[in-house]
Amino acid sequence: MTLNSIRYILRETAHSMKRNPWLSIASVLTVTVSLVILGFSVLFLANASNMAKSFESQLEVATFLKSNTTPEQVKVIQSQIQGMPGVASVTVVTKAQALIDFGKTMGGTQSSLVTDLGGTNPFPDKLTVKASDPQKVKALADELSVLPGVEKVRYGQGYVDKLLTFTRWLRWIGLTVVGAFAIASIVLISINVKMNVFSRRREIQIMKLVGASNSFVRWPFLIEGLTLGFIGGALASGIVGTGYNWLSMYIQTTLTFLPVVQNTDLFRQIAAGLVLAGMAMGAIGSGLSLQKFLRS
Amino acid sequence: MIELTNVSKTYPNGARALVDVNLKIGKGEFVFLVGPSGAGKSTLIKLFYRDETPTRGQVQINGKNLVRMKEREVPYLRRSIGVVFQDFKLLPNKTVFENVAFALEVIGVSKNEVKTRTHATLELVGLANKENAFPHELSGGEQQRVCVARAVINNPALLVADEPTGNLDPETAWEIMDLLFSINKRGTTVIMGTHARAIVDKMQKRVIAIENGRVARDEEIGGYGYDT
Ligand SMILES: Nc1ncnc2c1ncn2[C@@H]1O[C@H](COP(=O)(O)OP(=O)(O)O)[C@@H](O)[C@H]1O
Ligand SMILES: [Mg+2]
Repeated sequence: MTLNSIRYILRETAHSMKRNPWLSIASVLTVTVSLVILGFSVLFLANASNMAKSFESQLEVATFLKSNTTPEQVKVIQSQIQGMPGVASVTVVTKAQALIDFGKTMGGTQSSLVTDLGGTNPFPDKLTVKASDPQKVKALADELSVLPGVEKVRYGQGYVDKLLTFTRWLRWIGLTVVGAFAIASIVLISINVKMNVFSRRREIQIMKLVGASNSFVRWPFLIEGLTLGFIGGALASGIVGTGYNWLSMYIQTTLTFLPVVQNTDLFRQIAAGLVLAGMAMGAIGSGLSLQKFLRS
Repeated sequence: MIELTNVSKTYPNGARALVDVNLKIGKGEFVFLVGPSGAGKSTLIKLFYRDETPTRGQVQINGKNLVRMKEREVPYLRRSIGVVFQDFKLLPNKTVFENVAFALEVIGVSKNEVKTRTHATLELVGLANKENAFPHELSGGEQQRVCVARAVINNPALLVADEPTGNLDPETAWEIMDLLFSINKRGTTVIMGTHARAIVDKMQKRVIAIENGRVARDEEIGGYGYDT
């Protein structure tokens, strides 16, 4: 392909997009919408899995002892657990300490509280056990629950499971919505290109008659599709980038405990991915309509 | 130069346009294709520039087999064949110059070369003074000259014309015939389908008559030959 051909093809592409400006805009916008949804879905999933990870890493097993355990026995059990493999640390909250903590939150004195509670301290002794490997929390909890003197154990596995189930669902919903919009984008781009092929059918007929190569005839339409997809992808990148920035700033000031993903590499990958996805949609869209229209 | 062997063409709708046609046309010949409407002249002409392919038989041009030819080779075949139509097929929003230059632009010829060759070709067909006119500002004869210019700008070995004078008055028709004749004299083979009895009778060229898709008559120096 000569330089003259390239110049000609670019000129034709520009003409062609100006011919149906509204359809071009509609195509770009559907690409944008589908890719914005895709971009936010990816970011949401990244955050969800990040959150699941940080929950996991904070996982501690709350180990409650039987109510008849003596303070000496508590110390024994504590050192016993400390010696178990996979245990990072053990902190003790004795029943007495638990009562004081409870009293502080209620604002009364210890003795009056015990009287109010019927003369006994209802709190069990609690050992907070931190696992050294977040993956082994469940195994550790199982081990702890069968130790003599242990009444029951509690840990956050339930939340993590729920979060993971939720992200799995979200992934499917996100994929479905993105898929539907992607198909809509491809159809619109293909209509766009089809209309331009149709309005130029005389020209195309003569081009083929005088011996223009098939690729020469096709390139302007392919480039048109690619350009529409590129613009849509670039717009989506901008919207997702700005929107996420704004949103994460808002979350960090209001819901400070939520970990928000701030990974520049990830952002670059998503931006590049969205632009490439847009161009792929454009190529597929124009490819679909060219196949039908440009057979000689 | 051109050889058709046992060529038959049946359209998908069942119309039998050509039946067992055998033909040889030599380099530099001027050939009239005559015959009643629906005889198969246009179909035959379309075989030459591979707008259609036969359902049976072989078509050879300059040693190339048009039936076995791959799709991507077709453009290069067409660069060596000029085509002239009854309805000119000009692009209405392009000037005379642009319409003719188009044939070179779309095959990647450089800008300067496009310019010089387009000027020269418009000179050849006698339209040097109308370069910037649009098709609707031209007479039928002038539009046909533009079409001829576009067909010959690539110096084709073969020029095919399907009723090129069909939309023109007799006097203008003769001007176009003179043009085609001069192009033929420069060595280009010309094949022309026509209903113009007066022209065929006067020119004293080879005449191939097609009837019901068959070659009914082939005379080295012939006349139109029908009474109507
Ligand atoms: N594209 C086509 N599809 C179906 N039938 C066609 C087509 N073109 C021509 N025919 C039929 O083929 C026969 C020959 O047509 P044509 O080659 O145009 O004859 P002519 O040019 O001599 O008038 C006619 O019966 C016509 O109806
Ligand atoms: Mg005809």
